[in-house]
Amino acid sequence: MRGLSWRNFDFLLFGAVILASAFGAMMIRSAIAGNETLAGYDTRQTYFALAGSAVILLLASIDYRYWLSIHWPIYIGVMVFLMALSGLGQAAFGAQRWFQVGTLYVQPTEFAKIVIILVLARYFEKSQNDPRDLKWLIKSLLWVWGLVIWILLQPNLSNVIVSMVIWAGLVWMSGVRIRQIVVLGLVFLVVAVVGFRFLQPYQQARVLNFVQPDQTARQGAVYNVQQALIAIGSGGLFGEGYGHGTQTQLRFLKVRQTDFIFSATAEEFGIIGAIIIILIEAFIIWRCIRAAQKARDVSGAMIAMGVTILLFFQGAANIAVNLNLIPVSGLPLPFISYGGSGLMSLMIGVGLVESVVMRHKELEF
Amino acid sequence: MTSPAVPRSSRFETWRLFVIYAVIFIVLVVLLGKLLSLQVFGGRNWIDAAVANYTKEISIPAARGIIYDRNGYVLVRNIASYNITITPANLPNDNADIQRIYRDISTLTGIPVNSGTVEQAKLYAPCVGGPGISQLVDLGDSLAPYSPVEIKCDVSQDVARLVQEHESDWPGVSVEVNPIRDYPTGSLTADVIGYLGPIPAILEPQLTARGFVANRDKYGYAGIELSLQDVLAGQNGKRVVQVDVAGQEIRNLQPPVAAQPGYNVTLTIDTRLQQAAEASLLREINYWNTYFYGNTGQIRISSGVVMAMNPKTGEILAMVSYPTYQNNRMARFIPYTYYQQLSQDPRHPLLNNTIQSEYPPGSTFKLAAANGVLNEGVISSPNQIINAPGQIELCNVYTPNEPCGPNNMHPFVDWIYDTDPAGFGQIDFYHCIAYSSDVCFYKVGGGFGTEIPNGGLGIFRLGEYARALGYGVPSGIELPGEASGLIPDPKWKRITQGENWSTGDTYIATVGQGYVLATPLQVLMSGETMANSGKLMQPTIVRQVTDSSGNVQTVWYSPSDSTQWMPHQSVDAQGNVHQDWIELGSGKIANQMPAGSYQISPFVPNVKWDITKDPRIGTFTCEAGNCIPTGQYKTVAPNVVKEVQAGMRMAVTDPRGTLHAAFVTDYPLPIAVAGKTGTAEYCDDVALAANRCQYGQWPSHGWTLAYAPYENPEIVVAAFMYNGGEGAIVAAPVVARVMQAYFELKSIDQANAGGG
Repeated sequence: MRGLSWRNFDFLLFGAVILASAFGAMMIRSAIAGNETLAGYDTRQTYFALAGSAVILLLASIDYRYWLSIHWPIYIGVMVFLMALSGLGQAAFGAQRWFQVGTLYVQPTEFAKIVIILVLARYFEKSQNDPRDLKWLIKSLLWVWGLVIWILLQPNLSNVIVSMVIWAGLVWMSGVRIRQIVVLGLVFLVVAVVGFRFLQPYQQARVLNFVQPDQTARQGAVYNVQQALIAIGSGGLFGEGYGHGTQTQLRFLKVRQTDFIFSATAEEFGIIGAIIIILIEAFIIWRCIRAAQKARDVSGAMIAMGVTILLFFQGAANIAVNLNLIPVSGLPLPFISYGGSGLMSLMIGVGLVESVVMRHKELEF
Repeated sequence: MTSPAVPRSSRFETWRLFVIYAVIFIVLVVLLGKLLSLQVFGGRNWIDAAVANYTKEISIPAARGIIYDRNGYVLVRNIASYNITITPANLPNDNADIQRIYRDISTLTGIPVNSGTVEQAKLYAPCVGGPGISQLVDLGDSLAPYSPVEIKCDVSQDVARLVQEHESDWPGVSVEVNPIRDYPTGSLTADVIGYLGPIPAILEPQLTARGFVANRDKYGYAGIELSLQDVLAGQNGKRVVQVDVAGQEIRNLQPPVAAQPGYNVTLTIDTRLQQAAEASLLREINYWNTYFYGNTGQIRISSGVVMAMNPKTGEILAMVSYPTYQNNRMARFIPYTYYQQLSQDPRHPLLNNTIQSEYPPGSTFKLAAANGVLNEGVISSPNQIINAPGQIELCNVYTPNEPCGPNNMHPFVDWIYDTDPAGFGQIDFYHCIAYSSDVCFYKVGGGFGTEIPNGGLGIFRLGEYARALGYGVPSGIELPGEASGLIPDPKWKRITQGENWSTGDTYIATVGQGYVLATPLQVLMSGETMANSGKLMQPTIVRQVTDSSGNVQTVWYSPSDSTQWMPHQSVDAQGNVHQDWIELGSGKIANQMPAGSYQISPFVPNVKWDITKDPRIGTFTCEAGNCIPTGQYKTVAPNVVKEVQAGMRMAVTDPRGTLHAAFVTDYPLPIAVAGKTGTAEYCDDVALAANRCQYGQWPSHGWTLAYAPYENPEIVVAAFMYNGGEGAIVAAPVVARVMQAYFELKSIDQANAGGG
């Protein structure tokens, strides 16, 4: 435990995460009010947040390089879980995403994203002196796709995209060449156009609905987003008050405890509340970037950047869905949306970032 | 602790991090921009959308008014119709419990637990039947789980009670109670009362604006239900409530507005007399149908009418039109097959023949001619002797200058000719009326040589006297679809028939045939005018209008547009109160009501006019058969009315009088009766199709019109028998029996009043 000093623990990051989780639990409480089947979700989320805080402290105290040293068992273990989901997972919403352990529904996909960050961090450290050629690029991609292929087979397109964004971000930070980016962009375009045909019908419909909304549709595909816009718009400057948003409380807003919790917040706390949420998220992201800058080695920097990208992309995508800027994706708002696995995996990510920042290269003597 | 200094660039290049910062910054700007545009600049519209989401207007149905007869006997009431419903959201959680409830309801109602699919259930209207209980509930659950789903409609009261008793065992199951119309007197009063139907599409916008709910609220389709729709309907109440996404009511957003029940209406009909009148009519119709055709099912008299009125007040006491229909069968909805059957029946059971059908009035029309002949001095006095043989040769010319010769001389036959070719011989004008001598009236109506010079009364003046007795225009009674009848004149004939008026047309019109048409009510009104010594009362079927607490309301009725009005006070900008009128239903306020309006509640006898006092008879200057109105009007001399009354009385008292057999021999009444019969030959499409129109023996309708007591009349009765034959034989007994019933009922009422 050489160099372990809690003086370097980022209390501001930890505090912001606790604040966001507490706010999330409070909004979940408002969102599920009066719904019998969802009763108790706010308490569950609070327990997850408390457990998550403990995990942050635990992970902060363990050198992140320990996890890199056992990356193979972790990688294979998660892969086995993801593979098993194809056969054993619960069929829910047409996709298989959960393991049931007692009363908990565990989503390995959420943890897989952290594992992807870990293995990429290890890979980029090991290859930091290699030429940035196609071989380097494809090797990194293979590490990612060893897990992503199973996520794609679930099918869970949103998390495939999240994983690929993490990969792209880390490849970018590790010095990918501009020429490679152009080639990659073209490949991505071809894959997107060809891949669209292999999407599930509901996914195709979501994309098409976004590109060209059906004006006549009252219910169904555009309904949820329309209700979200009404909720946000009617919130105005100061909101309708906690527990008094009609869209949220009368349940016109759907999946308001997860995908659309930002809309519920914007309705009950107005633009003030919405901006506060965005600022908290931005603050957390900034503290993670700060950790990346301070990291003593490439793997530490990559872990922090990976978590940064994960938080930023999920947060931005969730809010953009709420604002009808991109198609509905089902990505949760980090630390705010209901979901034990999601919250826990993000807490693990923050724990790793804390571990990095605590072991940063000290310049003081 | 120190480690070798490693430059930052060894971990990552700083410019690459700036690109990341730039991306984050751009995304933040985009998100905040959209947030601003939604929450700060677009707020109002989104708030409206949110309010529209949770606001629901619920209409509270108003109870429709009840209709009574003049003695307080209920003719129309609202009864409960029970529907068994299941509210999906209130069903128990356990599927086994739900299935048990479904099975219990299925045994009770006969609706299967499962039938078809939910997709198929979408194709069915509520209450029609077809889908199983599970399918109906599943469909309702997916649409609005807090709205009751109708499983079985119009169940018996026993089943409804059974369900209500089990409501605690069967959570979610309940009984929905809807008011529907019930007509205790059914077909007896169907033509007067009418029936209800769904709000007609053409009226839907304006009625919806008044708070009616299409597909729920009903609208009058006939009878009083239609003509007094606005009086009866009331005003729906309204609740504005907040609902959640499932449709569950959360709270009232506005103070609820209670429904105002419709006003109750008391008719002038006496159900007992109505019943007697219907029985009397049916007995006669059945007698003659059996007499002519036995039990072959063939029909001679296909329709008939009998009406009774108080001549002093214009109150209709009985109004029977045969054939009629069962308005109770229309109470829930209008059954397609039954309605088809009614509307395709050639006897038109849906028509109220008393006011909606026009027939030639026959000899009852001679009352108009008689008033004219005496008032215009066509004959020197009623005692002038007129020669009335069995038939005479009359000249039928189309222009005044056309000479009469063998080509245009035609025999005009008296009705007596068949039994007594010699005719009535030398008789005075009283006997012309009493015997209903056609020859006598041909002569006085169209002129006869030197005996009746100057062309007799003539068609123009005949028309004036007919209109004075109520012919030619709708009476304005509070019933819909009234026909106007027809008083022909030369101009009308040229326009509609493309032919000149001929002298023969005048002869025929004088005896109420040819082109003359009248509704039975108009015939009754002519008798009423005579009975009431020249006062024509506004016929009315409404005695009073009361609110739900029994307070009599002031209501006026405008026959021209069937609107109903109440007095109203308006306050102008200066704070001055002035009296005006408010139209029921639309709520329109007007300084005065449409012309011709009259008060229907509280009851007052409305005099339309008094022919002996009000100048109603237009005068003409005639030259060569063409007459031009002078614009001068005159009255009928009171003694003329008395002389015609005397002729009508003689029809009963004289042994050869047309009503002697009925009122003296067959149905002797201890009360003096006067009247007039009529036998109107006709040839309409029905008669043509039945090959009845044979020259010389045309088919004929039978009429009888009579009032009593002669000295101080209190009832006037008219009966009409379609294709009945001679009025004195087929219609007079009907009238006589109605009169008997009337005086019997009167003595019963008096005995009761005395005893009480």
